[in-house]
Parts: sequence; structure tokens; C-alpha cells
Amino acid sequence: MKILIVDDSSTMRRIIINTLSRIGYTDVVEGEHGKAGLEKLGQGGVEMIITDWNMPEMDGLEFVQAVRSQNASIPILMVTTNAAKEDIVQALQAGVNNYVVKPFTPDTLKEKIESLLG
Amino acid sequence: MDQSEIDSLMKKGDKPASKKAPKAGAESALGLPAGTIAPDDPQGHVISELDAVTSVTERETNKVMDQLDLISALVGTQQALITGVMRHPGAQDPGVQEAINQVMAAGKDIQNKVYEAMDLMQFQDITRQKLERIVHHLRQIHDYIVDLLGTGLKSDGERASISRTITSTGTTPDEKRAHADSVVDEFKRSHNKD
Repeated sequence: MKILIVDDSSTMRRIIINTLSRIGYTDVVEGEHGKAGLEKLGQGGVEMIITDWNMPEMDGLEFVQAVRSQNASIPILMVTTNAAKEDIVQALQAGVNNYVVKPFTPDTLKEKIESLLG
Repeated sequence: MDQSEIDSLMKKGDKPASKKAPKAGAESALGLPAGTIAPDDPQGHVISELDAVTSVTERETNKVMDQLDLISALVGTQQALITGVMRHPGAQDPGVQEAINQVMAAGKDIQNKVYEAMDLMQFQDITRQKLERIVHHLRQIHDYIVDLLGTGLKSDGERASISRTITSTGTTPDEKRAHADSVVDEFKRSHNKD
């Protein structure tokens, strides 16, 4: 199971990678913004995406829309500081499958990933 | 404000001591090369300072993460060594086995605490985004004042890289925070009806 993590914070990418490895997912690729995420996705093999929202170059919402224009089925989890209801709805309308507000606990991330991979 | 400035202020009538110009090649207190902040650019100065704070905290947080990774690896090595000792013929005494089990359990507790500490490092990203939001508001105020005064001081080139992320989003004020799971469930239910 290869997971793509898109976040401009190297610290946050590291925390997510660490959490994933503790719950058994060690095959991870990273992108520091939406454009880099699309590049990694284009290289193939990615089965799930975890993305931030606020990023330079291409933000998470634009990234999700770009992904959905070419792939309707890949599970996408948004992990962000944006916690307003209108933001969450906007992300869901763009095509994310689930939503986690930072800071998150490993249990929350695990639960969301497992429910997406169902 | 550093102690020398405070001391100067305490002396009646004295002006605060001016900060010495950094030496060539020296680093600022934030660990950035000296001279990276233009003294005659008040807007760029403030933004660059905030930009420096985010850069330095990210770098330093990663150093802490490196140390935590190291501790985690050392605990793993220790656990492997203790497992080896447990199998040693001389360690089959029940009392010794009990002591070894306690050491193993303590090692696991350390490992869990290391993981908890790593998870707490999320504060860095959250703080960064809060700072970016502050910069965004500062810039709006700056632009408003510049427009009001009719001067042409705005220059995108002088703006620090911290401006790259925020347009209208960022961390959400507490009064606007929603329960993500409830919103997701409500959204999915309403879409399943359609």
C-alpha cells in the first residue's frame, strides 16, 4: 500500500510518516505542495493520498480537484488546520473522502485510514 | 528587547542602547545569516522576522525529531540486547526473568513517550500557520495605509516567502471551529439522499 503525503511542512510530513509506520504503512512518497503531489501521483503506484490544505504553488483544494479530474476513486484524506464547517464542506465537495483537523492523534489517523481503505 | 535596552530605559533620560551591527559572516540570534533583513524596509523587516521564526522553528523542530528518532532507535537496540540476555542459560532464574521483563516494559514505556513527543511536534506547523495569518493581516493593514496615504511603497519583490501560503485561509478561530466528523457525516448523508 503506497501512500502519498502532500504537506509543505517537513515536520508534519515526518510526523505523518512516523504515525503511518507505527500502524503498519511504510511505503510512502512525499510532495511539498500540490504540484509536487501531482508529479508523484503521475509516477504511479499510489493507492491513497493524505494532503494538507494550505500550501504554496498549488494548495490542497486545487490539488484534490486536479486529482479528481483524472482519478475518481483513489481515497483522499485531508489533514489540515482549517476547521470551519464551510471549509470542511468545500473540501468534501472538491472530492476528499474524509477530513482530519490538526493536531491529530495517531488513533484518529489510524481510524480514518482504515475506514477509507475499508 | 534585550537586557541592555531594559537597563538603558531604567536610567532616567537615557535612550535605549542601540544594537550592535552584526559582524560579517555572523549569525543573528535566530540563526540566520547577518544582513538578511533590510533595516530600511519596515514591512519587509517585520515579515522577514516572522519568516525567520517559522524557518528556524521548523529547522529546530526537525533537530528535536532527529533526537527522538535516535532515542527510539537506541531503545530498539536495547530491547534487542535484553531479548538476547533473556535466552542466555544464566538468565533463566525466575527472579532474573522477572527483572528483565520489567526492564523490557520500561523500555516500551520510553518508546511510547518518544512517540507522544513526536506527535506533539505538530505545534510547529500550527504555530507557523498562525504566524502566516498574522502576516496576512499585517499586510492588509499595511496596504490599506499605503493606499490611504497614496504612496507607492508596495513591492512584491520585497515581500518575504512567508506570504506564499496564505490568501484567505489558515488556522481557524476557535469560535468557528466545527466538529469535522459531524460535518463529514452530515455531508455524506445528504449526498446519499440525492
